[in-house]
Formats: sequence, structure tokens, C-alpha cells
Amino acid sequence: MADENDIILGIDLGTTNSLGAYFTAGGPKLIRDETGNGMVPSVIALAEGKVSVGSEAKRQAVLNPLTTVYSVKRLMGRGLADVQQELRFLPYHIVEGNHETVRVEVDGRLLTPQELSAIILNEVRGRAEQALGRKITQAVITVPAYFDDAQRQATRDAGRLAGLDVKRIVNEPTAAALAYGLDRKESATIAVYDLGGGTFDVSILRVDKGVFQVLSTHGDTHLGGDDLDRELIDLITTEIQSQFGSHLSFGPSTRQALRDFAEMTKIRLSAELSATVEVDLGEGRVYRRTITREEFERRAKPWIDRTIDACRQAVTAAGVSVEEIEQVVMVGGCTRIPLVRRAVEEFFQREPYTAINPDEVVALGAAVQAGILAGVQRQMLLLDVIPLSLGIETLGGAVGKLIMRNSTVPCRASEVFTTSIDGQTSVDIHVLQGERELVIDCRSLGRFRLTGVPPMPAGLPRIRVTFQVDANGILHVSAVEERSGRAAAVQITPSHGLTGEEVDRMVKESWKYAITDMTAHRLIDLRNETQRILAAIEKSLARAGSVLLPAQKQALDAAVAALRAAAAGEDADALWNAMSAANDAAMPLTQAQMDAVLEQTARGRKVDEF
Amino acid sequence: MSNEHSHAGNPASPPEDSAAGVMTKCVACSRELRSAVVCDYCHTLNPIGAPTDYFALLGVPRLFNLDADELRRRYLELSRHAHPDFFTGGSEESQVLAMTISSSLNDAYRTLSDPFERAEYLEELLGGPSSAVDKTTPQGFLDEMMVLQEELTEARLAGDHLALERHGETLRARLAQMMARVAELFADFESQLGCEGIRLECLGRIRRQLNAVSYIRRLVSMTAGT
Repeated sequence: MADENDIILGIDLGTTNSLGAYFTAGGPKLIRDETGNGMVPSVIALAEGKVSVGSEAKRQAVLNPLTTVYSVKRLMGRGLADVQQELRFLPYHIVEGNHETVRVEVDGRLLTPQELSAIILNEVRGRAEQALGRKITQAVITVPAYFDDAQRQATRDAGRLAGLDVKRIVNEPTAAALAYGLDRKESATIAVYDLGGGTFDVSILRVDKGVFQVLSTHGDTHLGGDDLDRELIDLITTEIQSQFGSHLSFGPSTRQALRDFAEMTKIRLSAELSATVEVDLGEGRVYRRTITREEFERRAKPWIDRTIDACRQAVTAAGVSVEEIEQVVMVGGCTRIPLVRRAVEEFFQREPYTAINPDEVVALGAAVQAGILAGVQRQMLLLDVIPLSLGIETLGGAVGKLIMRNSTVPCRASEVFTTSIDGQTSVDIHVLQGERELVIDCRSLGRFRLTGVPPMPAGLPRIRVTFQVDANGILHVSAVEERSGRAAAVQITPSHGLTGEEVDRMVKESWKYAITDMTAHRLIDLRNETQRILAAIEKSLARAGSVLLPAQKQALDAAVAALRAAAAGEDADALWNAMSAANDAAMPLTQAQMDAVLEQTARGRKVDEF
Repeated sequence: MSNEHSHAGNPASPPEDSAAGVMTKCVACSRELRSAVVCDYCHTLNPIGAPTDYFALLGVPRLFNLDADELRRRYLELSRHAHPDFFTGGSEESQVLAMTISSSLNDAYRTLSDPFERAEYLEELLGGPSSAVDKTTPQGFLDEMMVLQEELTEARLAGDHLALERHGETLRARLAQMMARVAELFADFESQLGCEGIRLECLGRIRRQLNAVSYIRRLVSMTAGT
């Protein structure tokens, strides 16, 4: 199914915006709509079974704050305990799911962050299919470099749910470097500073005749433009309350409106020295305030300082000095903020490089990686690293490190385990990710149960467990009992993710829940379905039309005519409604046929029995 | 204790045993393999057969005094042919082989590109005592360190960043000097062909020196804060 000539779509699945790009002989190209816009806001609106994505969903967010989901990337691969900070600010409902995951409760359904991300991926894919006029089944999806194993897996699962064969998960800063590095011939050491909507990454790379080797990476998956918006929201809310009374509480709509105000103000303050905010609170109460850039910068500074700390650590871990870094590449919308540019320039002692639009550079880089994987771009190679160390729980709740952070991927380590009880046939291994010494301070990736160990006296089995991290930075565990040479089965219980079965089930259900049937091929799918239904109705009419009452027959004819008309049109929703109506109208017919079939089987059996 | 390590199981002396010595042939074009895994001529990936050391994997001489640029060049060249990115359209087996070989190359380069890791690895490969067996350091080293460690702890507790930075600089200079000594000791070892006794004595000295280096490395990380 994966044809070599198929296009692999590069997708930047962002906290605030998502983009798609593809590789051509002339370099990577962004997918744009008719108006030239390449960004799809990562916003999903779900109401009454209808799904809308992107600008449309964003526009109606103020009206329907509870059914509008945004910043879902912050929930990927996370448990409820991890997102406490987010809960305060996200108006939609978040509840706890299986094995320390979260579910978003919206439109009477519980959806995983993976399913929601799949909706966004599908929208990006739909746009690309429309633009390129061909079906797309393969993708490279980017993630923050500092994403842990669970977050990477969640992203890959989202791709699967969107019906995409995810060829590679690529780190965003690395992708950006690839996009920049196309014409580079000589060797250089560069830094990529990536401040996005919800995450921050910094990577130090060595570029050597087309080989991009990441030396180190550091970051914070809880730091981004959203946080700067919140600073402004806090400022405005506090002032409104002191001005109009602290009893004034804000409903979800107002909070959503404030969020939009804050984002616009932040963007305006990058170009201007001050921006005026006006909030109409009703009943003649109007809050009006001019916020200066300096005021905003004072509030933003602690966040930006944190990014600079991360830069310092990345430089140290790379084993280079600041002076050796010849170029600093800026990625993410937030790098337009003058304070960010000043701070970066001051730390790296050189002017940051911003030749490519910071919103688009990651998607373009993903397309370059797609070109490498498709075999059409052989001059370049990416050697990336694992951002956090991997280890296993040892006695007393300590962590034994197996793979150190900043190790080039793919990489592997192996460890020999044994049993402690005679005849024991399974061994449990707890795998963790993080830099700290104790289990409680690291992130649990999951528990691996090795079964099928041949029964032997305690301590005799030699179970060699191999921890393989692939080029996506995702861990695979396998085990062999060396004395018997028997492979042990590995059962995984993820700590913050979905099991393989759960993903399989969701893939099956996605059609039913109208998650993947949107955008471009939704219409195609619906039309195909229409043909099937029309054929079925015709057949049934010929076979059992006589059972219908005149009124029923009339209703069915009308519904069929309406369905034919809708199938000729371009409105997918209208078609969907017409399809449901036709199905309903055909109900008596279907029922009669079912009865007939049942009767026949019953009769048939009787004949057999007697 | 060094008795257990004296004769048995020692990899033999460099000339016969260095990567250039063990010549295997490429499974595809039958030409001699310089790296044990990737053919320099037809770029075919060869399965990792018998236990292969990092030097042989990268196809560089088994020496401590390696040319860092040459090592890097070799690593990148081999990665260009072995990386899983170039096998996504291939068979399942070729994908697994690419991942296995790439993992080994990455491991090998990480170890050999860091002088301390390289020294530790080579010491073990040459049959020298491990740090678990011989924990001693050169004479007078620990006394000197005791004073320094006290000063460091004080500076850390007081949050005296300037003092920490100063100590850090001194320690890094000391580290460089000690690694230069390690290089000398390895050169001594390599020049003593055929004289097993002296060679063993060299490995013992290297062990003690590396124990001291390891100690200083820990102190340096103390000055770096977290």
C-alpha cells in the first residue's frame, strides 16, 4: 500500500497552528489555501455530532467555549496530574482516562488527545490532498525535541488514527535546521531556538556537508506563547476585578474573549510600543487600558529567562562554547517578540538568523525529512538524539540509567535479569525516563512484563533485555532467555498512553464517530456511501416494495430524490443529512425484509429439524 | 588481583589484532572490509558477526591517540550508508539490520570520541584492571583532592558562583593535563611490544590515572551546579 512514489507529507502539528508541506525537486513547498495562508489553527469545534477544524472553529470559540478544543498538544501523553497548570486555563472539560491519561469531554463524548490531534492531522492532510490532487497516506510529523517517549507515541498514534502511516517523528528544532541547511556546503555549529505556542526547545547541531548531527537538546514542554498570553490575561482580569468589583466572575465566553484579546495584544506589541485593550463587560461597564511593550516585557521576562537557562545547559551538554556557535536560528511565532530576540542575541553574542518565516520553517523541514525518507534527497542525513535518559527501576526505588540523554538515535542497551523465586516464569521491569536518581522523580514510561521464561531454580535464568530506541526516539523492548535461547514475550502497560489494542479500537471507531470523514474526502466517502444506499434501496423496493403503505412509499421517494440531489451538490453536511433521512425513510422496508429473512430461516430450520 | 587479568583472555597485541589485521570480506562484493559492518566499496551492510569492538566497527586503528577529525569523518561516512532513513522502503530485515548497525556505530562513536570514555574502553579491551578491581589513584592525589573538595562544598553551600567558576576552570585545566598523561601512558604501552610485564605495569598505571580523572570529572560536574 505504501507506494514508493507516494508523497510523504511533512506535518508540523503545533499547539496553536498546524501546517503541511511536501518535498519537490525544487525544495520543500508549503501547502497553502486559496488565500495563500498555510496555517491551520489547531482548534477543533465539536457540537451536535458536527466537527469543524481550523479558522472556522477558532472563529466560533467565543460563542461555544465549552465545545471548542485548543492547545490539545499540551495534553498529549500526559496524565491528569501533569496538566494541573493547564486545567486552570482550558475552558473545556478534562477528565481522567485509563492508565494515567486524560480525556476531553466534549459534545457528550470522551475523546483522547490522540483522537483530537487526529482531527487536526486529517484537516492538514485533506488540504494537502486538495492542493495536490492525490491521496496522501504517509507522513512525517514533528514534535518538540523535549517530548518524552509517551508524548512521541501519542503523536504517532494520532497519525495512525488519522489514517496516516507515520514514517518518522522528527524533532521540531532539527526539522528547522534541515529547512535552513539546504544550501549549506561547509561545516558549522548552529543553535536552534524554538519558542512555540506551548513548548520551548533549544538544540545545538553540528552541520557537516549535509549531515546534521544534533549534539544536545534541552527544553520545557510547559513553556510557550500560551504562557505569555496568560500573563496578559492575569493583568487584565486583576484590573477588571479591582475596577468593577472582585465579585465579578468570568464565564467561559468572556474568558475565551480575553484569551483572544491577550493573543492579539501580544502580537501587536511586537510591532508597536503600546496596544490598547477594550473589553465591554455589559451594563455600561467598559474596561479600557493601554498596555506598553515595557510592561509586557516585565511580565514576560521570567519566562524568557527560563529559556536562556535551557540554552546555557544545552551549550554545556554539547561540549562547545558559546563563541563556537556560528549561527542561531529562530523558530516559532514567539521569536518575533523583540524581548526574545534581544535575550537570544545577548546570550549567543550574535544576531539571530530569521530568513525563513518562523511559523513555517518546521513544516518545511519536515518535508525535507520526508524527501530523505522517500529516497529523493540523499545528500542530507539527520542524526538526532534522545532528549531524556532512559533507565529501569532498581532496588530501593532508585533508577539505573541505561541510555544517557543526548545519545544519538537509534541506540540500544541491554541488561541481564534473573528470577528470585524457583520456577518463576515472568519478570517485571519498570522503565523510566528522566535525569533524577529516584523513581518518584522520573517519568514512568511503563511496566514491561516478560513472560514465557522457562521454569528454573531462582537466579538461574539469564534474561537479556534489549532496550532499542529507534530513529523516532521511541523505545522498543525485547527479551531473550539466554540459557534456553527462548524469546520472552513482552507485555507493555504504558503509564501515560494508549495500549496497542486501544489504538486499534479507536481506528475502527473513528469512522463511526465521524472523526476521519471530514474535509476533502469526506464528500467522496459520503458520495460512495450514497451510491451504496441508493442501490440497496432500489433492490429492496423491487423485492419487498409492496409492504410499504402509500404514505411511506411517498416519503421514501421524496427522500431518495433529495439524496440524489444532495449527492450532486458540494455540501457534505447536507449530503450527510439527506443520507440519514433516506436511511430513516427506508426503515420500514428494511424492517420488512429483515422479518422476511428471519421467517425464512426459521422455516428452513423447521424443515431440517423434522 | 591483577593475576586474574594477566594472561588469560587478553586480546593479543595490536599489529595482528588491530582493525587492519582482521580482514573479513563483504558479503556482497567480496572485497575486504575496513569497517566490520559497512563496505567501503559497495556500501552493503554486513551483519555484525563475531564480537566486534568499536575500533573495528568504525574501521580505525586500535589506538588511544586517534585523529579526532578522521574518527568523525569515518563515523559520518558509515552513517551515511547505514542510517535507517535510507532503508524505509526496504525489506523488514534490511530495516532491522540498519537500525542495529546504526545503533552500534552511534555507540562506538560516542565512546571513542570522548577521550576519557575511549581510554576506559581501550583499557578494558587490552585486559587492564577495571575500576571495580583496582580503586587506587596516583600517590598524593587524594590528599590534594580532600582540601579541594572541602572548598568546593563550601562554595556550593554559600552559593558562591564566582568561586565555583574559578575552581571549575582550575579543575578543567588539571583534567586536560591528566588526560595528556593518559595519552603518554598509552603510547608507552604501545611501544613496549612483546614485553608483557612492562605492558601490564603500563595498564596498571593507566588504571590509577583514569581513577583520578574520573574523580576530577565528578568534581567538575559539581562546579557546574545542577
